[in-house]
Amino acid sequence: MTEWVLHSGARPGGVARAQIRAVGLALRGPAMVAGGVLVLATALAVADMRGSTGFNFHPERWMVPGLSGLLLPMAVWRGEERFGPGFLWTLPVDRRGHALAKVGAGWVWLMAAVALFVLWLLAVALASGGNVLGPETLRMIPPLPYPGDGGLNPAAITPTAWTPNPVLWLVPFTAATAMYLLSSALALATPHPFRWLAGVLLTFFLIAMVSDAADADGVAQIPEYLVSLLVGGRYGLESVLIASTETLKVETRLTTGEMAVVWRGLPDPAQWARSTLLWTALAAAALWAAASRHRETRRA
Amino acid sequence: MSPLHPEPGAPAVATRGLHKRYGRETALAGVDFLVPEGAVYVLVGANGAGKSTTFKVLMNLERPDAGTAEVFGVDAGRGGPRARAQIGYVPEHHGPGYRWMTCGQLLRHAAAYYPSWDAAYAEHLGRALGLKPHRRAGTLSKGENRRLQLVMAMAHRPPLLLLDEPTDGLDPVIRRRTLALLADHLADTPTTVVVSTHHVTEMETLADHVGVLREGRLVAQMPRDELQRTVRRYRAGVPDGWTAPPGLPQARRSRAGRELQWTLVGEPAELTARLTAAGAEVREVTTLGLEDAALAFLAEEDTV
Repeated sequence: MTEWVLHSGARPGGVARAQIRAVGLALRGPAMVAGGVLVLATALAVADMRGSTGFNFHPERWMVPGLSGLLLPMAVWRGEERFGPGFLWTLPVDRRGHALAKVGAGWVWLMAAVALFVLWLLAVALASGGNVLGPETLRMIPPLPYPGDGGLNPAAITPTAWTPNPVLWLVPFTAATAMYLLSSALALATPHPFRWLAGVLLTFFLIAMVSDAADADGVAQIPEYLVSLLVGGRYGLESVLIASTETLKVETRLTTGEMAVVWRGLPDPAQWARSTLLWTALAAAALWAAASRHRETRRA
Repeated sequence: MSPLHPEPGAPAVATRGLHKRYGRETALAGVDFLVPEGAVYVLVGANGAGKSTTFKVLMNLERPDAGTAEVFGVDAGRGGPRARAQIGYVPEHHGPGYRWMTCGQLLRHAAAYYPSWDAAYAEHLGRALGLKPHRRAGTLSKGENRRLQLVMAMAHRPPLLLLDEPTDGLDPVIRRRTLALLADHLADTPTTVVVSTHHVTEMETLADHVGVLREGRLVAQMPRDELQRTVRRYRAGVPDGWTAPPGLPQARRSRAGRELQWTLVGEPAELTARLTAAGAEVREVTTLGLEDAALAFLAEEDTV
């Protein structure tokens, strides 16, 4: 007599490995492009090193990891029918868990890519004789008042010794993670993420345009205020992406007519950690909510 | 881990009152689908009758508006992963997965999801169907995609195969080979098969149950023997001006000279008696092939 035996489901470890392999294969194209860009950047860096004082190792000042995290979900979900009877959903794994496993697989590759990028920066710094962990002298200016049209008085600049904090080397990893989670949440939340992005941008633009035409300054400032809060605010994206180094470090004209790079403040690891925790938690919650759109059962 | 057994007496597939609408279109309207364990069940219906939707509900790829669907007693909605673990699925649409993977990579990827994956069997099926492991999935033709899907569906020897137009796009040689492989598979592996197809004749030697979907309703569901016993062609001579007795089951009717020909559904002895009582002279009652018998339920109008 035939014995009917039901099959057990997929093993979580096997699913994770399969997704890492599958996403790795999907990322081969973008990885080759990124590799080419890195080779080109190395050539440019080598050319730039001649006669320069060296390239200091500051991975926290690079936007590249965060932007990569933002764009990576496009490659991770390439060809996957996220909304519909796609191949991924035909496999014997809980759908929400499966979506998160795919996101996790992409994150593993992202971290590997960021690690390579940081190592590349370190190699360039070491090869050029730049500083890695030694003290640096930053030209500090008081945060306020801002230099007027006449330029900054050189007397206001105070040379300050600052030792890079290795904790900030984590910035590329955390920035890439937060942006990747946010972008993955968007990819899983809607079948048309770019339409939503375009819609938001268009709305901001229209508000600004209409309020400008109507001379309603208060309304016109709302989008501007929101953007500045979102990007450059205390807990803004800039803090997450580059530990606010772009806001703190400015190039300004001195009263002598020269251009100088000065610092309004020192990078604050505690501030960066708070912003990163906030954005990562928000992104993780958004990702969970978006992945839940694909769960097996829904409440009636 | 001890093996899991289906609930005693549970059918392989059972749906109760399945309803599904897409906007204004009704895809399923109260479908009670019952596939016994070990059956080869052929699901027949016109395009848009609801065959593919039924499969998607069983895979929990679509959520029904009402009703339940079970696979070996596992609720497909609540226990989607467990239900899918029992199923080898060939979907209606072509494209077995990731276009950038080679066939070999795709098979290895699928293998990771099924602890029962039989790599040697997958290789055998691939060879028999002429799959080239190094070909990229994105470069495969419609028929090659179908072959890859068939290997992916069968290689883990699932207790249930859901095949949605499995031979669509296959050339005649591969089509015949596929059916032979399916017959071998049934001989080697305890499997229930549900096949949706427009080519019912292909399943003539394998099918033992038939279901007919029409506009989202399951208008017939029975063992093949019963179908062929109850759906027959009747040829009868009739006098001039003869009108069919009321209540005669609707079926196809054609006129050849002074003879009428019907494909009727019902008990043959009873139908013959009714026709005779109405003044017709029943000259021949013919058994139909599987396809003609199933199509009797899809006939819309008399063709006089």
